Amino acid sequence: MSAIGELSTMTRRKGPMSKEEKKANGRDNKAAYVFLLPWLVGLVAITVGPMLMSLYLSFTDYNLLQPPEWVGLDNFVRMFGDARLHNSLRVTFTYVLVGVPLQLGVALLIALVLDKGLRGLPFYRSIFYLPSLLGGSVAVAILWKQIFGTTGLVNQVLAMVGIEGPGWISDPNTALGSIILLHVWTFGSPMIIFLAGLRQIPVMYYEAAKVDGATTLQQFWRITLPMLSPIIFFNLVLQIIGSFQSFTQAFIVSGGNGGPSDSTMFFTLYLYQKGFGQFDMGYASAMAWFLLVIIGVFTAINFIASKYWVFYDD
Amino acid sequence: MPVNPKGEAVAPATASKVRASAQKGKRRLRASALVAATAAAVLALTACGGGGGPEAKSADGKVELRFSWWGGDKRAQLTQEAIAAFEAENPNIKIKPEYGDWSGYWDKLATQVAANDAPDIIQMDEKYITEYSSRGALLDLSKYDVDTSKLDEAALNAGKGEDGLTGIAAGINAATILANPAVFQAAGVPLPDDKTWTWEDFERIAAEVTAKSPKGTYGAAAYGTDEASLGVWLRQNGKSLYTADGKLGFEPADIKGYWELLKQMSENKAVPTASEIVEAEAAPLDQSGLATGKNGMAFWWSNQLPALEKAAGGELQILRFPSKTGKAEDAGLWYKASQFWSASSRTKHPEETAKFIDFLTNNVKAGEILLADRGVYPNSDVREAIAPKLAKADVKVVDFIGAIKEELGEAPAAPPKGAGAIQEIIKRYTSEVMFNRLSEEEAGKKAVDEMKSAIGA
Repeated sequence: MSAIGELSTMTRRKGPMSKEEKKANGRDNKAAYVFLLPWLVGLVAITVGPMLMSLYLSFTDYNLLQPPEWVGLDNFVRMFGDARLHNSLRVTFTYVLVGVPLQLGVALLIALVLDKGLRGLPFYRSIFYLPSLLGGSVAVAILWKQIFGTTGLVNQVLAMVGIEGPGWISDPNTALGSIILLHVWTFGSPMIIFLAGLRQIPVMYYEAAKVDGATTLQQFWRITLPMLSPIIFFNLVLQIIGSFQSFTQAFIVSGGNGGPSDSTMFFTLYLYQKGFGQFDMGYASAMAWFLLVIIGVFTAINFIASKYWVFYDD
Repeated sequence: MPVNPKGEAVAPATASKVRASAQKGKRRLRASALVAATAAAVLALTACGGGGGPEAKSADGKVELRFSWWGGDKRAQLTQEAIAAFEAENPNIKIKPEYGDWSGYWDKLATQVAANDAPDIIQMDEKYITEYSSRGALLDLSKYDVDTSKLDEAALNAGKGEDGLTGIAAGINAATILANPAVFQAAGVPLPDDKTWTWEDFERIAAEVTAKSPKGTYGAAAYGTDEASLGVWLRQNGKSLYTADGKLGFEPADIKGYWELLKQMSENKAVPTASEIVEAEAAPLDQSGLATGKNGMAFWWSNQLPALEKAAGGELQILRFPSKTGKAEDAGLWYKASQFWSASSRTKHPEETAKFIDFLTNNVKAGEILLADRGVYPNSDVREAIAPKLAKADVKVVDFIGAIKEELGEAPAAPPKGAGAIQEIIKRYTSEVMFNRLSEEEAGKKAVDEMKSAIGA
């Protein structure tokens, strides 16, 4: 319903609704539901249904082959004693807490450069955006594996200057770092959003600052960052949620086993292994709900903290 | 600086406009952040959801069966030829093939079975057969018309369990070391005598090949990424992977030496470095170190020789495992059912499914097509009938299986329920040891604990 439509009903609502009006309203609602139907069917069938099912399964012992058996909170209790799960949490938190700020930093930096009114901006924008389209794909993960292999491109370049590089993705000390780098490389979508945000900052603020003799750095700290903070917040929330759920890169780069030595065993990867590799779908479902809680907590913290640093210009 | 008198009047107007639109934009952003957050969180839970596919419908009176297996290109081609031969004899049955790599096979099968959408005919492995049969997912084939009278007894027994005959061996193979003579020749090292060699010989020869080869080539690939080599190691030390009553057949101390030797071999470059071992693990058969000429020797199942020769583009040689004593009969080898033909207990057409399995097992035509790709034929009649048709590589495999017959150890106990997880545990702790993250003792203790809990014993 358009804003004007809304306004007109609001003004009319002052008196009690007449029968015809109620009828018309009902018709409108029906029409709305009809239009909503395809989405609603999808939501119930492929989102709400499976979610409720997984909530139920999280309280059961379910091996995929036999009917689930109710075990109460057993699965959740087991999580406390599962060292591999704790390790997967450590891996995932490292990935989120290092990867997200790095990625957003790079995205902002590139956006600032592009915002300077470069010639051929659409071209550069597309080039920088490209990794975002490709980064989550299986093909790029495989490519990454080649580039960072023992005899891959990176080590060949290093060899030219006399350094013998490690097997980046096959050494437990560097494997996670390589995957974080892959994540940072896909900075395109936050960059586009930053770029749009930068465009919304009124030029007059900068002009006024210049008149007052502010340096470029001061302008960045005092104008750009505060004005951009809602956009940073938006990107932060989205990227944190997305990163907690990342799966493909680790799955492909590690060959599906989260190795070497569980160093790239993401929470989602462990969940997948438990569910589909070890016939422990009840536990895997409990893990999924635990992840939902973690993401929920992080998002809530984000929103609470945002009061102190996000500047809404109103 | 000249001040534009109009500037002051114009600027506030523009500014308020800009600000208004900016505010609108931000509010929208704030709202959409919430929506996006919820949506993304919801996706976390539903990412694993999935439904069953359509049931195989018999159109125009034809029965359609689904048949799934793992394996490479060569196997796919041979198996499809065998299907065509069966369909020619049975025009009312249509077989729909589903095949893929080993790594994704088990995830897919578990999902299909859970979704009540299992293929009718399933290529099964000994690691998983108890898992599936004890949970009622596999058909007892003894109740249907599959002729097992010509099968070797050991092969037949391998598919029998508490839940009946849930698998029929598709072939017999043995754990072996395959050697690439080209690598040995280039290094100027003679091939070992596998009837008398010990683990010390293995280490010395491999190190010598590495030393005399170009950088990046190793005398041997590492073991420790599979359970067959651990099985051999334990058998040579009087232990076993599993006991007859489905428990773990060894203690942490028994696996210690297995890793000590491997680490020592990696240090003196008989086998690759820890990082290279991890990378090699992920390579498919066609790109394995043996096929690409980067390894002089590697650990493989005997039936994999023809496919590996094809990938290597040259001849390979089959060797017995080294022993502790230097006597071939102490190598502790055994005949393994390479794969099983199993059927889903929920198949709508058990008779037709059994008919197809019977064809694969007993029909000479099937044998002439499949040859030794899944190991040596367990049906003695078929084995004899197809002998003249075997290619050179197949003959090598068949001869080797025949040659070790008198040296075999006791048949190992069948892997219990949960055994599918063991290989991954061995691999992981081999990495922990090789990267010096855990000592052999600690790794042994943790690995055994984890294995015990995996098989619930």
